[in-house]
Amino acid sequence: MAEIMPTLIRIERRQSDFHLTYDNQQEYTITYHDLRHACPCANCAPLRNEDETSLTLRSQVESYKEHKPSVNPVGNYALNFIWQNGCSNGIFRFERIWDLANRRDPDNGKQYVHGAW
Amino acid sequence: MAESPISTHDPKNDSQGPVQPSPQQQKQMEQNYAQMKRKMAMQEIGRKIKHKIMVLSGKGGVGKSTVSTGLALSLAQQGHKVGILDIDITGPNIPKMMGLDNHRLHVEEGRIHPAKGHLGVKVISMAFLLDDADTPVVWRGPIKLGAIQQFIGDVEWGDLDYLIIDFPPGTSDEPLTVSQSLPNIDGMVIVTTPQAVALLDSRKSITFAESLKVPVIGVIENMSGYTLNGVTTANSPVEIAGPGGKTVKSTSDENGNFSVVLDIFKQGGGKSTAEDFGVPFLGALPFDPGFVRGGDDGVHKIVSDPEGASSIAFTKIVEAVQEQISDKAPSTLEII
Ligand SMILES: Nc1ncnc2c1ncn2[C@@H]1O[C@H](COP(=O)(O)OP(=O)(O)OP(=O)(O)O)[C@@H](O)[C@H]1O
Ligand SMILES: [Mg+2]
Repeated sequence: MAEIMPTLIRIERRQSDFHLTYDNQQEYTITYHDLRHACPCANCAPLRNEDETSLTLRSQVESYKEHKPSVNPVGNYALNFIWQNGCSNGIFRFERIWDLANRRDPDNGKQYVHGAW
Repeated sequence: MAESPISTHDPKNDSQGPVQPSPQQQKQMEQNYAQMKRKMAMQEIGRKIKHKIMVLSGKGGVGKSTVSTGLALSLAQQGHKVGILDIDITGPNIPKMMGLDNHRLHVEEGRIHPAKGHLGVKVISMAFLLDDADTPVVWRGPIKLGAIQQFIGDVEWGDLDYLIIDFPPGTSDEPLTVSQSLPNIDGMVIVTTPQAVALLDSRKSITFAESLKVPVIGVIENMSGYTLNGVTTANSPVEIAGPGGKTVKSTSDENGNFSVVLDIFKQGGGKSTAEDFGVPFLGALPFDPGFVRGGDDGVHKIVSDPEGASSIAFTKIVEAVQEQISDKAPSTLEII
């Protein structure tokens, strides 16, 4: 469990994916579609709770023309991606990006409960 | 002003001698000059203060001011130079919490000097402008925001490690004015209580933070649980009827002491809000009646009980904040 996350040192925006370099000298890719489908914002996240809505989110994301987003650091803990269309709200923590780079479910199989109170 | 720094000399008019500007022009120039000076002062302040942290909440009364003073005092305990700016014009209550009730504004050579509260924390509050603490000032729109800019630009803070900025509740103009006036704000801390409405509003604050382009340092859950201590026979089970018909169980130790945490409100909401939005959860502060007493008699709980559970909770939160804003920044991150 006590996996130590390496530091992300380089992001290259390519045609349809990010090419990531970490300070452990390993390289990873995350497709724009995968990243956008994993948006943690309160609008997108609940859609991943059910297979059906998750697929809808997926096809929505895939319907956008692939283009390089602008990448903005948020504090020192996350990145925010600005796209020309669709949702740009999500604040992606570095842990989340690391999960995606490793092809792991960044939600950890946990249901998003809207209004958890 | 005998030595106006503004030259009214215009070379085109040399032959006719210097032209006197009209009183209106003179006034305009003086205003422009003052504004420029203020802007430079703000840049200077931005440089001299290492970290600037805004404390916000969507809903009122969730404990922003308690958290602001707690963060400031906890940082001061670590030996940092700390200041608090109390932006709440309508109900400033930081001075009271910092033992500075009835303090008046101290102005020297056109600069405002902060008061020094507990542990040497420097304090500037709108309350210092009020004649009667019980009469809230009702400032409107531009005047209010102008006053805030003036307060930011004209205060002589000196070198600070941390400036904590306490805001009135809600997503109003003040945070915008501050974020536009003060360069390099580290980010904002959002205070919430575990109640539904407070959470809903803290969600709004996070969205608001995004629109201000100020990063969210994280969420603090206040009034999280109430620790009840008691004594009974040694090594025996204890059952307490908690809120919401919940029975809380514990066991006393060999001396008969026990302690249980009662969730006054539903617990963990701050954490789930933080998780939903992908922002850091900085920690929870217990419900501690000592905060209310401290607010009333002007001795903050952290000062009166530095070893207590609340002080320890604040220390943990301060560590979490420092971790988020530490200089390890992703400046090393290359984006191409
Ligand atoms: N953890 C706590 N335990 C018990 N009482 C608390 C706690 N935090 C705050 N309080 C009390 O709740 C009241 C409101 O707190 P505070 O003034 O800090 O809130 P605020 O968010 O700054 O309010 P406002 O929105 O009016 O500025 C005060 O009486 C304070 O002493
Ligand atoms: Mg307050």
